[in-house]
Amino acid sequence: MRYFEYVEPKDLNDTCQFLSRNEGAKVLAGGASLVVLLKNNLVSPSHLVNLKTISGLDTIRWDDREGLRIGPLNRHRDILSSPLVQKYCSILAEAASKIATPPIRNMGTIGGNLCHAEPSADFPPALIALGAKLKLISSKGERIVPIEEFFVDFYETVLSESEILVEIKIPPLPPRSGGTYIKLDKVTNSIAIVGVASIISLDEKGICTFAGVGLGGVGSTPLKVEKAKEILLGKKIEENHIDQVAKEAQFISNPITNVYASAEYRKEMVYVLTQRALKESLKRALKR
Amino acid sequence: MRKQEIQLEINGNTYSISVLPQRTLLEVLREDLGLIGTKEGCSEGECGVCTVLLDGFPVRSCLLLAVDVRGRKITTIEGLSKNGELHPIQNAFIEHGAIQCGFCTPGMILSAKALLDENPSPTEEEIRIGLSGNLCRCTGYVKIFKAVQAAALR
Repeated sequence: MRYFEYVEPKDLNDTCQFLSRNEGAKVLAGGASLVVLLKNNLVSPSHLVNLKTISGLDTIRWDDREGLRIGPLNRHRDILSSPLVQKYCSILAEAASKIATPPIRNMGTIGGNLCHAEPSADFPPALIALGAKLKLISSKGERIVPIEEFFVDFYETVLSESEILVEIKIPPLPPRSGGTYIKLDKVTNSIAIVGVASIISLDEKGICTFAGVGLGGVGSTPLKVEKAKEILLGKKIEENHIDQVAKEAQFISNPITNVYASAEYRKEMVYVLTQRALKESLKRALKR
Repeated sequence: MRKQEIQLEINGNTYSISVLPQRTLLEVLREDLGLIGTKEGCSEGECGVCTVLLDGFPVRSCLLLAVDVRGRKITTIEGLSKNGELHPIQNAFIEHGAIQCGFCTPGMILSAKALLDENPSPTEEEIRIGLSGNLCRCTGYVKIFKAVQAAALR
């Protein structure tokens, strides 16, 4: 690990000012990914700014109009055990339960998970399916970015050097909603070969009023199946609709081959898993 | 290079030390404080031999910067025995032969302690999940799970 200065900011304003003055600085959340990069000298910041010293970044709040607002410093464990998350968007808790092992879930944070931008990460597909938006701030102000526009490439996001993620906003789902996150991994909770999250909402007549599908592990970024809405909304969902969405998921996927799986295998599996996820989501929505 | 003066609370004792900000908790425990019960394995957060408890939760000491854990309660394997008596989980490991080479043992025992503190009577599946962050290269898992089950009954 190369030398860096360690900084504990007082508040968000202080953090933004510091980041705008020090281009080589990086922020530290849980450290579960960043410290590995530091150890291998894959990143060499001039300063490490510890966000954990700022209060209020680890809250989870709900209101009926805005939905769920999650602070970036919530650890995977906090997401998994939050009664609000379990009640209002259980697929996020489902995704959290599939991340690595207890010690890593006790360290890693949802904000760090997103900003690290690993394309196989488990939270992004779930947040894409949920239609989440991210609040980013810098000394110049704030902006809201839909999660599917946040990721740019392998380990790259739209965050500028002086910008930080301060909130994850998840809009409320209609009452009859069901969803799931399905992960294909080599051993339980290892990195996803393919991860698929889906949400389906139905009205009283069983007509689809909301649909979201997010994919992980099949591109340089997590992906949103944009056409899922066009295919499913306003319909009474049948097998052929599910097949169309799964084919579309396969079509937009552009995976790589690595030690975990070949590109061809991932491309086959994203089709299978999208079908399974949608069928399970539909089943859960019908139970509501 | 600038060292920082920090205080760490480990096993109920307060240690005042001067560290560079890039020192990990694992390095400080082993090299600065002589607490070598915590082991170094992969040093990348995969193997779990460096597990310590942070405010009661198992974490990877190889992925934590020492400056980042000021004011937190750290428990290492040295902190489990009381008045020369081993902790019941430690005794259960000995009685069930849940130790072969012993390198994973401190981390296994600390993960087991955190699990039993939260869930005093876990099922075998819950034990397997609770210890899933700790690898045993001797593959002595069955005896380890039995030892944790036995400790839960005490």
